[in-house]
Amino acid sequence: MSWLQAITPDGADPAVVRRVLALAASGGAGADRQRRTALELLESHGGADPDVVLTALCRRPSRAAPAPAPGAASAGRLLAAHGAAVLAAGQPGYPGRLAELGLELGAPLWLFSQGRLPPGPAVAVVGSRDPSWDGREIAGELARFLARHGVIVISGLARGIDEAAHQGALDGGGRTVAVLGTGFGVDYPRGRAELRDAIAIDGALVTELLPGAGPRPVHFLHRNRIISALADAVVVVEGRARSGALATARLAAEQGRDVWAVPGSLHQPTAQAPLALLRDGARPLTRLDDVLESLPPTWPGPWGERPGSSACGSDEDHRATPGDRGRPGSRDSAPRTAPTVPDGPASVVAGVLSAVPASADALRAATGLELPTVLAALAELTARGHARTTPRGWVSVSAG
Amino acid sequence: MSAIGRARSVALAGVDAVEVQVEAHVGPGLPGLQVIGAASGPDIAQRARVALQRLGVRLPSSKVLVSLSPADVPKSGARFDLAVAVAVLAALDIVPAQQASGVLLLGELALDAGLRPVSGVVPSAVFARREGLRLGVPEGGGAEAALAGCAGAFVLRDLAEAVAVLCGEDAPRAPEPIVGEPHAEPAADLADVVGQAQARRAVEIAAAGGHHLLLLGPPGCGKSMLARRLPGLLPPLDDDEALELAAVRSVAGLPVAGPGGVLDRRRPLRAPHHRSSAAALLGGGSGIARPGEISLATGGVLFLDELLEWPRSVLDSLREPLEEGVVRIARSRGSVRFPARVQLVAAANPCPCGGGGACICTDERIWAYRGRLSGPLADRLDLAPPVQPLRAQDLVGAAPEEPTAAVAERVARAREAAAARGHAPNAAAAVATLRPTFDRAALRALADAVERGELTGRGHARAQGVARTIADLEGAELVSAAHVLEALAHRAALGRGQGRAA
Repeated sequence: MSWLQAITPDGADPAVVRRVLALAASGGAGADRQRRTALELLESHGGADPDVVLTALCRRPSRAAPAPAPGAASAGRLLAAHGAAVLAAGQPGYPGRLAELGLELGAPLWLFSQGRLPPGPAVAVVGSRDPSWDGREIAGELARFLARHGVIVISGLARGIDEAAHQGALDGGGRTVAVLGTGFGVDYPRGRAELRDAIAIDGALVTELLPGAGPRPVHFLHRNRIISALADAVVVVEGRARSGALATARLAAEQGRDVWAVPGSLHQPTAQAPLALLRDGARPLTRLDDVLESLPPTWPGPWGERPGSSACGSDEDHRATPGDRGRPGSRDSAPRTAPTVPDGPASVVAGVLSAVPASADALRAATGLELPTVLAALAELTARGHARTTPRGWVSVSAG
Repeated sequence: MSAIGRARSVALAGVDAVEVQVEAHVGPGLPGLQVIGAASGPDIAQRARVALQRLGVRLPSSKVLVSLSPADVPKSGARFDLAVAVAVLAALDIVPAQQASGVLLLGELALDAGLRPVSGVVPSAVFARREGLRLGVPEGGGAEAALAGCAGAFVLRDLAEAVAVLCGEDAPRAPEPIVGEPHAEPAADLADVVGQAQARRAVEIAAAGGHHLLLLGPPGCGKSMLARRLPGLLPPLDDDEALELAAVRSVAGLPVAGPGGVLDRRRPLRAPHHRSSAAALLGGGSGIARPGEISLATGGVLFLDELLEWPRSVLDSLREPLEEGVVRIARSRGSVRFPARVQLVAAANPCPCGGGGACICTDERIWAYRGRLSGPLADRLDLAPPVQPLRAQDLVGAAPEEPTAAVAERVARAREAAAARGHAPNAAAAVATLRPTFDRAALRALADAVERGELTGRGHARAQGVARTIADLEGAELVSAAHVLEALAHRAALGRGQGRAA
């Protein structure tokens, strides 16, 4: 009897809810918001009404959200409407990697899932929402490569690197899992419904948030721990000095996941996060094969399997050590900003230019601008000394 | 007794027709037939003599001298055979003199007195039409004469029929119906080109303004595919252009009719191989100069693939024709002229090693290589878009690309806008003509580029033309800075200050 069957439009099996909450309680009062709330509710409500507990859990405790009209939209009904399965901790179907990790290190109490979590080795590819053209290319290329070798690509379905990674995995004919920062039924990022649908065909969309929960910064922070938890290794492609990607990498290191960083130019604002990680001991990604070769040869077992089967004891060998030294916030590695970057399309194009030569076609794809606009912007940037023509394409020029 | 028989024919100097007077004189001297005034005189005499015998004409036992004039027009080949035979017949009073001198005659005689087709019927027919003369041609040439709109053309099977027609015994036969391919094979469409946004844009601009184009890309990335789609973007040839092309083809002995057997109005594309000789490219050859590939492409596109593989001397000789739209071929007896109004599309690898993923050439080496590319044709190349190697993921789920028809419509509008200003295509328009159509910011952007050393004086003129075309495509009356900037970006791959040294 799974949690999915426990939560039906008719109500939930209180016994299952109690067991989950008991599990949460046994973990001790950690920093995890979900768990803390669960404990508080358990105390105040005695765990009597699973629906109330569930609904409340999915809201920020500090925010006085309007209580749902009684019986109007029960959690179970909403999930059923979205065709979502519930994977609860301690229940069959709960991902092995998460079970193994334990609640202390960030495994969620439950995950709602559209599609099926595929079994197999998995690598998270994460990075900036606002990457350079080159970063986007690398993310796509890496994901395609991994997908072609049967590795599941996990990311957060944000714009930029995440999106490129999911798309790359699909292009490579592989499976990919998106960990959402919203609940189901929310069009976020906007206009990506097609990509979401494509992901769910062979892979899955998962979230710990109830249907309808909107995008909030705090959601994304908590979402990141699940991304790293579901993967064997995390690759940070691009990210700015204080970015979510950096946070994901540090969480990953705590969880014992391998952390890889794609080295970038000192001049590149979006290379700051990977560079910081490299300094702190992350492994540099020098070839696409690097990650593939590092994956444990005897891979822990399918997603749905019970924990404990485990060869994921590869922690020791592959443990990356970022996070131990230096804190992200303490660093003032503010990326260089050109003093007089023009506005309008030129600034958009300048935003995606990098030290790696890009063709006008690539920049058009990266910015979504019309080609003539991109060309004019490039000539303008060149004229102002912000860009340079190389035989292979355009590059950014550091103002220094 | 001495009589003079006359006939008329047409000689060709390039695609220019020159009327030739043929005079035959029977007079004292050693018996025989002698033809003077043409390089191939002795051959003509031999063929004419045998053909006349076959016809049952006995040459008198006196000297028959045939002279072709004017003497200073180079005349060679067998095209005057028929006129020579008819002039002799006129001198012998077998053909009425009046009749023989009112008709232009072309044709090579076979030994059995049959007539064989000759090349260059189209320019001859155009000449006959203009002069209001009738034109007798061998059977195979009637179609060309009809295409050229020559109402007075008729066809002849052999010398006997020529005599019968000239004596008024037979009615002249109208040219046979034209045999052409029934249907045009579908033209290459731009919709087949996946991706390549910048290259597509450059091809569109080139079509709209008549600009010369250099496609840079590794082998197999679709450069020639793009080049072959340029002619389809251009408006069809007008009457004069189509006739001019037909004349060149006729002189070269190539089929003239287009699909359906009408005058071919499709823009030609010629893609000579880089091992072609200068004569093959520009025209020439011994004896009568034959048109080269550049003339066979007149009104259309000359595609030079592997630009750097072409001998420097051959590329150098392209400069003048590109500038003037005409090839002049010097001969000891004067020069001939062929039309050569072509749009040049060149293609080359982007770097010395051929480009592609594994390229490790340094930037300096690549720039030096590109300098060599543009060297001989310095500043004649206006647009140099990179053509990207296709990646598998570009093909998967690629959105349908714009078809030729849609682009051609924009091109036509832009060309109309340029024509409305009353000057040559933008690529060839004078700097001073275009300048007043630029706004201040646009002029400043051009001046800045010169100041930065990005443009030479000539490059400046080329960029100005491209900017004007971009504005025309947009339907803008005034050229703005954005148009100039885009024009500069299209030249970027040529390198800084390209063309400074040829």
